[in-house]
Amino acid sequence: MKEIGHKVFSSKLARIVTLIGLSLAFSPLGLAQTTAQSDKRSDPAKTQDGAPLSHDLSGVWMQYRDGDVPGTPGMNGVNEHFRPPLTPWGQSQFESAKALQGAKAVAGKEDTSVLRCEPSGPPQVLILPNPWEIVQIPGRVLMFFEEQHIWRTIWADGRTLPKDPDPSYLGYSVGRWEGDTFVVETIGFNDKEWVDLYGNPRTSTTHLTERYRRLNKDTLEQQIIIDDPKVYTKPWVSPPKMHKLEPGWELAEWFCVLDENKDYDQVVRKPAGVAPNSK
Amino acid sequence: MRRLLKTSSGVLVCALACSPFVLAQSSKPSDAKKAPASKSSPNHGLSHNLSGVWMQYDDGTAPGFARMNGVDDRTRPPLTPWGQERFDSAKPLMGPRAVGGSEDSAALHCEPSGPPQLLILPNPWEIVQVPGRTFMFFEEYHIWRTIWTDGRPLPKDPDPSWLGYSVGHWEGDTFVVETVGFNDKVWADLSGNPRSEQMHLTERYRRLNHDTLEQQIIIDDPKSYTKTWVSPPKLHKFEPKWEIAEWFCASSENQTYDKDVRKPSGGGPVDPNK
Repeated sequence: MKEIGHKVFSSKLARIVTLIGLSLAFSPLGLAQTTAQSDKRSDPAKTQDGAPLSHDLSGVWMQYRDGDVPGTPGMNGVNEHFRPPLTPWGQSQFESAKALQGAKAVAGKEDTSVLRCEPSGPPQVLILPNPWEIVQIPGRVLMFFEEQHIWRTIWADGRTLPKDPDPSYLGYSVGRWEGDTFVVETIGFNDKEWVDLYGNPRTSTTHLTERYRRLNKDTLEQQIIIDDPKVYTKPWVSPPKMHKLEPGWELAEWFCVLDENKDYDQVVRKPAGVAPNSK
Repeated sequence: MRRLLKTSSGVLVCALACSPFVLAQSSKPSDAKKAPASKSSPNHGLSHNLSGVWMQYDDGTAPGFARMNGVDDRTRPPLTPWGQERFDSAKPLMGPRAVGGSEDSAALHCEPSGPPQLLILPNPWEIVQVPGRTFMFFEEYHIWRTIWTDGRPLPKDPDPSWLGYSVGHWEGDTFVVETVGFNDKVWADLSGNPRSEQMHLTERYRRLNHDTLEQQIIIDDPKSYTKTWVSPPKLHKFEPKWEIAEWFCASSENQTYDKDVRKPSGGGPVDPNK
């Protein structure tokens, strides 16, 4: 992964293809190091489907192409097919976005904060087909994403959501169990990134719900629900998406780095000057 | 971190001027840390427990280097010719060679930081221990780091990276972290002392009592330094009520980036009183 990252970043195409390219084109196996197994997940009593693993979400997870949204392999955790109508304000935001994906995307004209190496955050960071890991410790669930080396805290100590959180990239998250479903609620987002790669907006009034259920040892179900009356006329409920356990994987170091100003200028600040598919 | 100045000079401004209390949320205690201890209590039962949010404070031992002396310039061995060249070409953020408005470092471009520089900045950081691993979370740039404690050895030929590859083990009551596989894109400190791909970093952690963590940083980098650089131990204070806040370095606006980072000489030196 590091190797790939460097090569990509040192080329002209790189900045543009980083997200799209790494997400869509490269084999995910190249991204996660497979050196050694991190923790032993070998308790045979826990390997049976449906059994006491239900409240154990820990491990490295990966989503794969499932083909149900043509043109967006694997990246449909936030599913545009189910997007409710936009509010007038949401529509204007959506139309002004220079999308990375979808019908609106124009090669060479894409622009998003992620292309400038600005931080990603939920739910966008959740839908990219890159390895991510859950670690559960008392009072907290930690999520680690290979994408941009982001980590995120979900407080699971019974605290409530804050009343007036400062807007942030990751928001403020609390989680609780409803039966076998771990429900994560997050508020306090900033509006500096989209919820997906199509340009659908995220704002400071976005209330994000994620529902996680371990269907069996190898499968984690994730459902993403976006509620933001400023943008969407109804809650946006995407269908559940499956993630596969990858017990032999460890997350590698993947930072987004504007290594050289020249690259930054050429590839990011003047994206129109680069035709990503030309060479 | 939303104001312009902070975007460009987050390290400088917040490392030197901002109150750390602003950066760390202190809303509620994260976990119930009910270890029955006072400041003078021994470390009984805690010696192998490093978990918690830690903070280093001004101890006055390094005038002009407000508390950022975990890597201590005064104990630096002579540089190699390569190291000297690197050092001379650096436009440091701190120290007698720093020129207001002309500073330049990877951190000012919002590039990632990494050990040991990351370890010496006076910002809150947290240790979380789980089986086989110790995590370190740094408020600075929202960086996390994995130290493998499952007995694995250091890799033979790691790819150069910002954080390197770290393994840790206990030697009595001291947690020893060894890291290799660094790139040379960050300095070891803020004075412009280099870090090369040959650096072998050793960190030694010892919990002296409930409230105090001792950290010693040892840099072995034959490409940069003629001898091993052994800095004196530095103490960190336990902050049980703190939680690490979100602090990303984001070049949010190109204009801001251009004005404050790419043309730092146009910005003038940072006045910590403003």
